[in-house]
Parts: sequence; structure tokens; C-alpha cells
Amino acid sequence: MAKVAYYPGNTARAASMEVEDCIVPLCVTLGIELVEIPRASSDGGNIISQASPKLQDSLVARNLALAEQKGIDIMTTCATSHAIMCDTADTLASDSIYASQLNNLLVRTSGIEYTGESKSRHLLHYIVEEIGLDKVRDLVVNPINLNVAGYYGSNMQREGACGDDDAFLPSYLEQLITALGGVPIDYELKCQSVGAPSLLTLEGTAMAMTAAVLAEAKQNGADIMVSACTISHSNLDSYQSRAGKLTGKDTAMPVIHLAELVAFALGHYPDRFAQLRTRALIIGS
Amino acid sequence: MVRISVIAKVWIEEDCIVCDACQDICPEVFQITDETSQIVAAVRIDGQFDRNIGGALLKANFGAEFAEYIEEAAEACPVDIIKFEVVGGAAPVVEEAAAPVVEEAAPVAAAPVAVAPVAVSAGTSDALAAVFSGDRALMILFGSQTGNAAGLAEKTAKLAANYELAASVVDMDGYNPASLVGAKRVLIITSTWGEGDMPDNAEDFWQGVNSSSPALAGVNYSVCAIGDSSYDEYCKAGVDWDDKFSALGATSVQEIQLCDVDFDEPWAKWVKSVLPRIACVDGSGLFQESLVEEMSAYGEGVDDSVSSGDFTPGTVIMDEISVTIELFRYCPSAAESGWDTISCSVPAHATVEDLLIAIQQDVDGSLAFRRGINGGTPTTGVRVNGRIVLADIARISDLIGSSGNLKIEPVPGLPIIRDLIVDLSGYEAARARAEPWMKADPRDGARLLSGAAVGTMDAAIATQLHQRGDILSYQLVQSMSDTSSYDKAYEGPGVHLQQWLRAEDPRCGVEQRNNILSSLNETDGVWAEADLSSIARYGFDGKLAARGLNDARAHLLNTSNYSGKHGRLVKWYGRSVKWTGNVNETTLYRQVLGPLGLVSNIFNGVSARMVLGFTRNGGPPIRGLQGLLMPPAGVGKIPNMINSKVDAHHEVVSLFNEIDKRF
Repeated sequence: MAKVAYYPGNTARAASMEVEDCIVPLCVTLGIELVEIPRASSDGGNIISQASPKLQDSLVARNLALAEQKGIDIMTTCATSHAIMCDTADTLASDSIYASQLNNLLVRTSGIEYTGESKSRHLLHYIVEEIGLDKVRDLVVNPINLNVAGYYGSNMQREGACGDDDAFLPSYLEQLITALGGVPIDYELKCQSVGAPSLLTLEGTAMAMTAAVLAEAKQNGADIMVSACTISHSNLDSYQSRAGKLTGKDTAMPVIHLAELVAFALGHYPDRFAQLRTRALIIGS
Repeated sequence: MVRISVIAKVWIEEDCIVCDACQDICPEVFQITDETSQIVAAVRIDGQFDRNIGGALLKANFGAEFAEYIEEAAEACPVDIIKFEVVGGAAPVVEEAAAPVVEEAAPVAAAPVAVAPVAVSAGTSDALAAVFSGDRALMILFGSQTGNAAGLAEKTAKLAANYELAASVVDMDGYNPASLVGAKRVLIITSTWGEGDMPDNAEDFWQGVNSSSPALAGVNYSVCAIGDSSYDEYCKAGVDWDDKFSALGATSVQEIQLCDVDFDEPWAKWVKSVLPRIACVDGSGLFQESLVEEMSAYGEGVDDSVSSGDFTPGTVIMDEISVTIELFRYCPSAAESGWDTISCSVPAHATVEDLLIAIQQDVDGSLAFRRGINGGTPTTGVRVNGRIVLADIARISDLIGSSGNLKIEPVPGLPIIRDLIVDLSGYEAARARAEPWMKADPRDGARLLSGAAVGTMDAAIATQLHQRGDILSYQLVQSMSDTSSYDKAYEGPGVHLQQWLRAEDPRCGVEQRNNILSSLNETDGVWAEADLSSIARYGFDGKLAARGLNDARAHLLNTSNYSGKHGRLVKWYGRSVKWTGNVNETTLYRQVLGPLGLVSNIFNGVSARMVLGFTRNGGPPIRGLQGLLMPPAGVGKIPNMINSKVDAHHEVVSLFNEIDKRF
């Protein structure tokens, strides 16, 4: 059984509990053993780095070091957290003096250090590259059977953070949607940011970006959207009415997280899946 | 003290810090761009505008006229990257003046320039290699009334490089006839004016040669004469020069070429014949006629783009690959856009620009795109398969995926003028408003000979500053932001990055620094960028730009005590993490937006969506009700009001206390 340290990101155990609900059963079905790292903290969300990049790097390095202590990689459901961990790992790998300074800090404060052994993996990349789409296809109980637009966001779509997928013309989500019995919908803005880091400070801009992504996916025939990023999920889902109102665009569409999509297809929470299909039917009419 | 040196060539090495000192001293030769000082095209024989790493010679009189200023600029350069070579290859000679008579340095141009031995391709005979090993200077004198002869002289100089000749184009105006003595290779291109007269720029020189009659034995020459056969004195000026040089003892390597008003074709015929012949004049001035055939073959086999000098860049050759190109087209007059699909085979090593040129030449001449100069031209940006690249350096092999498709479109975020050409005027206007260039006064520092102050910084800071700003194209950075398309007031990351780097420059004046920081802190400044990750994803330049902009934010926050929405967001994010190890979104919402901001969620549809129409499922339904009835509400489904602490929370607190105690 594959074994990874689970890092829920900054919101999965707060505002995004539906992700937390789904990740455990889907991993059991796929044969992934999740190891808790209860000492892990927030990664700073690229917000703390705006005051102190070093402080954010130290928080991230500590989380990676905690996984390294167990001899395993970290897996996360959040594209932002994944990209942040990849960034810090890259920075430390390329700057040995800085890495040494941070490790001295980690040893002094937490009694651990990060050597670069453990890496971050996003749930999407882990499923496609480690579990394999054939196995996923075999395990599908309730085929999705909807037109699904995949949303990647901008955070992890860069060299070094997107696994073996193409950073700018990705296809992993579409491949996975197909394996789960859905119909992937292609649209231009699937890697565009929805301004999640600025939701509270630049609401107008963030709403315009959010509305553009939703409206374009809908115009291209999507029934629902699946997000690979937990933080962007907030904009795309809870704020879609607001985004539509501010921009005059048709943004109404059910948006779920990747973990939910996989869990539903693998037979978990059939009641929720039924609700989702009903919503898609009503909104789409 | 009289300086008698004449500069043959000047170039700028890497790591220019764009301090403007050289331009201040000698703007005729040095011009500052966004990234480096460059050598002005007008003073160079190759007519290029770059750092002149190839070592093109200075034109005509410029080497003498500006020698003193070039030397002064080199001395003033804080990072010592201005390099020059004097005529004869020796260091600048400084002699004590015996008398208070200051003789103006003669405009000797580059005739006696000693150039470095050129690299010779394998396969050349020993005899030809011997010819190449000596002095390879070629002087091309032009007499021109309307510019036609001058233009032909420039073209001739460029082609001369194929024969390993170091050509200098020399205006006859003001040229000293005595300087002809000692020249080994001279080509004369001249028009005829009026009734067989010399062009205006050649008249004095003609008179000077006639009156001084310099001995031209050892000079090898040929003449290309332009005229109009409808006049009686057809090409007389050229014929006069040919006769005069012959009379003064010079050796003609090629018969005079007479060109009528359609001069291109006869000139081409002449130049094709004369260049290999004059190139066969060896370092001692002897015309080696037996080598002409081999020299012709050598020159014709050299690609125009190959650099001269002692280094020739390696060429990567890759196999041809089949590609299907989706090409964005936009016609402004019809206001219509669409996609062309073209299937073809191209060498994988070709650049996107090579491909676009081929399409323009072979498929559709109306295709519009910006062509680059020498590679890496900042304005040649296009988007290929989602990547934002400079067309003149991006190789197809690096962009094409396994599908064999190439989707080529304009860079995003900027208005499209036609096809792949975007309107950069908005960027330029924003840059003009931002004024990211050096305004160093008032400041302390060393002073130039002119008395103007020049700021200084140590090498370590200069290196660091250069590394932070090692951006290939700020125009490209400008188009990397996803935000730009949605906020027209946003000045853009390309502009802000230049401002920030200038503010970081220790030579920057206090007033300018304050103005820049104030500008960056405005609502359309660095805070207007909604997501730096959209910039950071675009390779090295994107990552560097995002890092620089983040540094600017950190500086502004740390000097403003975290004021404003952005400040409160960062402060309370940090505090909530420090308190429990996890971020508390309820706290963030309350602190950033205030109680009214929370209540507004009830009315703007956010809370309603949480309860009635939200997609999210899971979690206790009471949370949804809570969101409607009792603020504070959080982002999305109502999060925890109070976080529980992570295990070993004290370790997180220790990190905060060790690194940043402000939270």
C-alpha cells in the first residue's frame, strides 16, 4: 500500500470540510495510506511571505521535515499549498547557505531538519502517476456522467510543481475525469488565477477573474466544475453568485473539489452525488 | 597633455548597472536602455544597436572625435565594463605636449586598425590562412549627395565581413587625404553631382588630394561610380577618382564599375567581384591574385549572420519535425479574428520567428508580427502553447508537445493591433508615468570630469541588484499577470518591477526613491496584483519578477506598520498562525473587512449560497444557519470560530519569535 503524509492545506479542516470528508475514504479505496502529521502548521499561504519570505520558508521546511522524519512524501489536496512546498524545496535545494540557516533554526526550535528527501505531491499527480488511471477506471462504481470542467489554477501549473503534466497545456484532470466516467470540457481559462489570495482585499478584481473562469466553462458546455485547488474553490463556489452579480455573467454552476469528484465516482457519499446531479440538472436547465 | 589616441572600437561587457554615467559623458556613443548601456548605431560601421560584443569598428571620424570622451566614460564606469581598443591595438598613448599648441586629432578613421586574427574555418588552404592572419582593415570611402552611395557603402561593409575583412565606412567629408597613405585596401563609392561635379561631401577631400598628391603606392583600390547616363558627364566623379588613384600609384584590383540610376544590380555585380579580390590583399599590401577563386568560394560559403572575430557561436542542428500550427489572425479593418491552420515540416532548432517568417514568405504575406534584432528582442513576445516567449529566441523544439501542435497567439493582457502584434503603447505610457529611470540628484558620491555627481555602490550590491533585475523583457513580464485583463487601472508588473529595482538602487536620489515607493503603494501599485503566482509560473523571468514584487510588498508593509486592508490581511494571517499553528479565516474576515463587511455577506448572496444553493456538502448544517444568523461569517462554509492548536505548537511560536517578532 502506498504511504504518504497527508497535509490538508490551510482550509480543508476549516472552511473546506467537504474535502476532508472525502479524502480519507477515497484513499482507502485507492490503496493509499494517509499518515497524519499532527505537528504540521499552516504554510503561510503566500500571505506571510509578503511580510517575511524567510518565515514562510521556515514553516514549510518544518512541515516537509516532519514528513521526512517518517521517510515519506507529503500529499496535499490544495494546489496552492503544493506549489508553496515545491517553491521552498527548490529554493533550499539551490541555496545551500540559506538551507543551512533554516535547518539550524529548525534544529533549535523543533529538533528536526529538512534534507530535501521528502517532496510534495498533489492528489491529482499522485493518482495519475502513482495509482494509475487504469486502476481508477476499474474501481469506478458511480460513473460521473456529467460534462466536467477541470480547474487547475495558476499555482501549481509551473515547471517543477505540475508533476509530469504539461505546465501550460495540462491534461491530467481531463484524463482523470474521463477515467471516472465524466466528459471533460476544454476551456481556455482553466489555468487562470481567480485571485483567491486577494479575495478580501481586491474583491472586485477577484470576482471578475472568478466570473470569467466560470462563465467560460459554462459557455463551453460544462455541467459542473471540479477544482484542484482548495482555496480557489471558495471563490468559484461560495462567491459565484456575487461574481455573477458584479459582472453580469452567467456563473451559476456547481463546483466541487477534486477529492469529492473522485470519492463520488468510487462510490462514496452516493446521497451527495445524487444531490450534485440534481443541482447540475436544475442549474443547467 | 594631448591625447593622440584614436579609438578603433568600443564595447560594453556584461553586468551593466544602468547608471547612465557613460551616456551623460558621451551620448553620441553610449545610449542607456532598460537593461544595459549600448553603443549607438550611428557611430558603428555595422549599424547595429547593441553592446557591440562582436567588436564592430567605429565609423569614420568618430574614433578620433570621441576618443577622449570614451576614455572618460570608461574611467567613470562604476563597474568597469566599458572596454575599448585603440587604433594600432596598443593602449592609449598619452604624451606630454611640448608646446601649448593642441593639435586636433586627425580624423583618421580606422584605416590602420590592427584587428585580432580571425578564426578561419577548417578547409582553407595555408596560403589563404596566411592572408587572413594579417591586418584585415578595409576602408570604404563614400561621396554621396542624396544618400544612395552612403547606403551602398554600408551594405558593402556588411558583406565584407564574409571575407574576414574589418570594414570601416568613411565619409569623405572632412577626411584627411594624408590618412590614405598606409591604407592597404580602399573601395570608393561615389555619385556624380550636377555637370560632372563631386558630391558636396567629397569636394573638399577631392581638392585636398589634388593639392597634396599623397603617394598611394601600396594602396589597392577599386571604384564604384553612380551616375545618370542621360547626362554628358556620366559617372565623372567616379572616373576622376579612378584616374587620380591610379596616377598617385595605387593598384586597381578591379575595373571601375559605372552604375546608372538603377544602380542596385551593377553594384551587386561589382561587389561580388571586388570583395574577394580586395580580400586577397595580404597583410603586407600585396594582391594575391591566385587566391581569388578560393576566396570567392570562402566568402560565398559564409552565412551573413556569422559573427566575425575570434569566436563563432556553435550552431545546433536538429532534424525536421512535422507540426500543425494554429495561428491567431486578427484584421482590424474588418474587426474579425480567427485561426489559420497550417501543416508543415520545420527544423526543430528553428525559432518561432523563423517559422513566422517562412509562413509570411511562403503562405501568407499579410501575416503581421514583430521581428527581432539579433535575438532576445524584448518586443517580440508571443504566446505559444500557453507559454509566453520571445519569438526570436524561443526554439520550436522547446515548445512543441508530443501532439506536434503549435498554437501561436498574441501575448495576453494587451490590445491587439493586428495578428500577433499587440499594442505596447499602454505599457510605454505607464512606464513614462512611473519614471523608473535613474534620477540620482541630489546625492553624494564621486564626480565626473564634467563635475556632475555620480553615485557609487560596491560590487556586491551591484551584483545583487543585477541578479534581481536579470529580466529578458519587461514587456513580457507585463503580459504575465492574469490580473491585468480585469483591472484597467493596474499599471502592471513589468512597470512596477522596474520601479522597485530603481528604488533598490543605492545611487537613486532620495526624492525619487520616495516618489517610487509612494507610487508603488497606491491602489494601482503593487497591491493591485491579485495573484503573484500567475506571474511566477512563467519560467525564470516570471519567478524573478514575482519575487521582486513580493519584496516590494514586504518593504512597503514593513515601513507602513501593516496599514490598510493588505496590511491587516498579512498581519492577522500571521498572528492567527502564530496563535494556533493554523490560519483562522473567521479572524481574517473580521479584521480585514470589519463587522460591516461580515454583515454584508448576508445581503450580497454569499451567505445565502452557503445555506441554500451552495455546492459544498459535508459538515454540520448548523454552520450554514450560523452564517445567516450570527456574524462573524467566514469564507465559504462557516469555518471554526476558534482553532485548536497543532501539536507542539510552541515550536511554531519559536519560529516566529526567532525570525519575525512583529506578529
